[in-house]
Amino acid sequence: MTSRAASGNAGLRVPTRVVLLAAFPALLLLGAVFAFPIVQTLQLSFSDWRGFGPMEWTGLDNYVDVLNNKAFFEALRNTVVFALAATVGIVASALLLAVAATGGGRFDSIYRTIWFLPAIVPGTAAAVFWSISVQPQSGVINSILGFLGLGSDHAWLGSPDTALWVIVGVAIWTSTAFPFLLLAGAIDRVPPEIYEAARIDGAGGWSQFRYFTLPLIRPVLTMVIALQLIWNFNAFTIVWGMTRGGPAGSTTILPVLLYQEGFKNGDFGSAAAMGVLSSVLLIALGTITLRGSASKAAGE
Amino acid sequence: MNRSRVAAPAWGLLKIGITVLIVFPFIFILLLSFRSMTDIFRNPLGLTGNWVPENFERAWNGPPGGTGFANYFFNSIIVVIVAVVVSAVVGAVAAYFVSLLPARWRARVLMIPLIATIIPTLALLIPFFQVFNAWGLINNPVALGVLYAGLSLPMTMLILHAFFVDFPHELREAAAIDGLGHLATFSRIVVPLSQPSLLAVSLLNLIWVWGETQIAIVLMQKAASQTIPVGVLTFQSAFRSELGPIFAGLSLATLPLMAIYFVFNKTISRGVSMGGTFR
Repeated sequence: MTSRAASGNAGLRVPTRVVLLAAFPALLLLGAVFAFPIVQTLQLSFSDWRGFGPMEWTGLDNYVDVLNNKAFFEALRNTVVFALAATVGIVASALLLAVAATGGGRFDSIYRTIWFLPAIVPGTAAAVFWSISVQPQSGVINSILGFLGLGSDHAWLGSPDTALWVIVGVAIWTSTAFPFLLLAGAIDRVPPEIYEAARIDGAGGWSQFRYFTLPLIRPVLTMVIALQLIWNFNAFTIVWGMTRGGPAGSTTILPVLLYQEGFKNGDFGSAAAMGVLSSVLLIALGTITLRGSASKAAGE
Repeated sequence: MNRSRVAAPAWGLLKIGITVLIVFPFIFILLLSFRSMTDIFRNPLGLTGNWVPENFERAWNGPPGGTGFANYFFNSIIVVIVAVVVSAVVGAVAAYFVSLLPARWRARVLMIPLIATIIPTLALLIPFFQVFNAWGLINNPVALGVLYAGLSLPMTMLILHAFFVDFPHELREAAAIDGLGHLATFSRIVVPLSQPSLLAVSLLNLIWVWGETQIAIVLMQKAASQTIPVGVLTFQSAFRSELGPIFAGLSLATLPLMAIYFVFNKTISRGVSMGGTFR
């Protein structure tokens, strides 16, 4: 069977074996970096491995350990709280920024350039800056609060009640930029005639946004939400950079627990089991988000 | 979007507020990196005290007996070059030839990079360590670069494929009539005409690689092999309470990318809107 490259390239047929040959290095690399590690993580989760020597098959032992481990469920709780809060915060901020930078204003392109800046800062640099800034007395944030008469000695990261929320705030600062630019691009593509029509019908700013902009950017918005859920679920960098999971485990999210369990305690089997459990959960969560929104879109 | 005239001042204030929130960390990192420890502690908001450019010298050279940003820079540059070049070359060849397939097959093949973008790093991390360990590649920045190339490949392929699918087929037909083979058409006609897209993808990959921490912290264990984001953490524990050099380090970690961004920001934002996916 010969493949026919008829996708608007009539008259130019590329034999399948040429395509396969050209795509081979990419497929090989993808296999080595994605497919192999997934299989290996699964295998490891049923084995005992301490960082050296051969892996020993131990059946469901790791899963039993993990599911009897209180720390796992605490981390799961922290992860879900963090991922949901950060995703809601990031997507809401990104939408607000996108709307603010698409009004056809004179300085919109300058705002877009500046508002993307946090995306280029290495995550650890942002984490270190913000963790120093929220220190009592010497931190910039506390100094500003002190200046406003709100007290300058809050140990925001030292308290298990506030630490996770500080990190959510930092996540919003660092991660809003990419979705902002994506959503601004989607809003740019909404035909201006739609707003003309809406205005003639008497729709105000909010109704225009709610009934015209929002439905039209839904595909991009859905993708942004699903991807943000996945990335915030896996937000190792800022958490590790700011608190290393402390105080008292209050900011230990699953990627941090996995890192500690595997790379600090040397129990790679349990760490792999955690990786498998959280990935399954995460992919289910992402699929439901995408499905839910797809069926909602279809129902309208 | 059109807004009522009454709301305009409110939006204006909001935009200024957002800008201040986004910009002030950059200003403080830069300002504090020139100040001394005691001055920062006495008044972090002020500009009083001595001007201490030596902070940068100490950040660059590191603590006595330790490693500094000179070292982290060198490693990051190696990792970035390997990752960006390998990803662009391998991804462009694959994306171009896949874009020539019939639509049905294209959709099937593209499922592979699409699925790869949603796999969380925590499902892959331990095997990366096992393989690097078994092959003696721990602390090897070149190997880390190849790994990053693979991880950024899905995004590279998806963005470039979106571009190649719209590549004018008349140009390819003309090349075929001139007797150019598939590979020659690709390298002599398609690649030169695709440079803006290749640049956009490469810049997005650069931004991601420059900041990647979760994998690098596991694979680059010796300070001498560490990249900038991991170095920032090592550096922070080395200088502990000496904020001046730490802030100078943060400036050094951020400024090169800011310079690149201000030169190429149009290209980068086009890349974001083309791909939509990014790790």
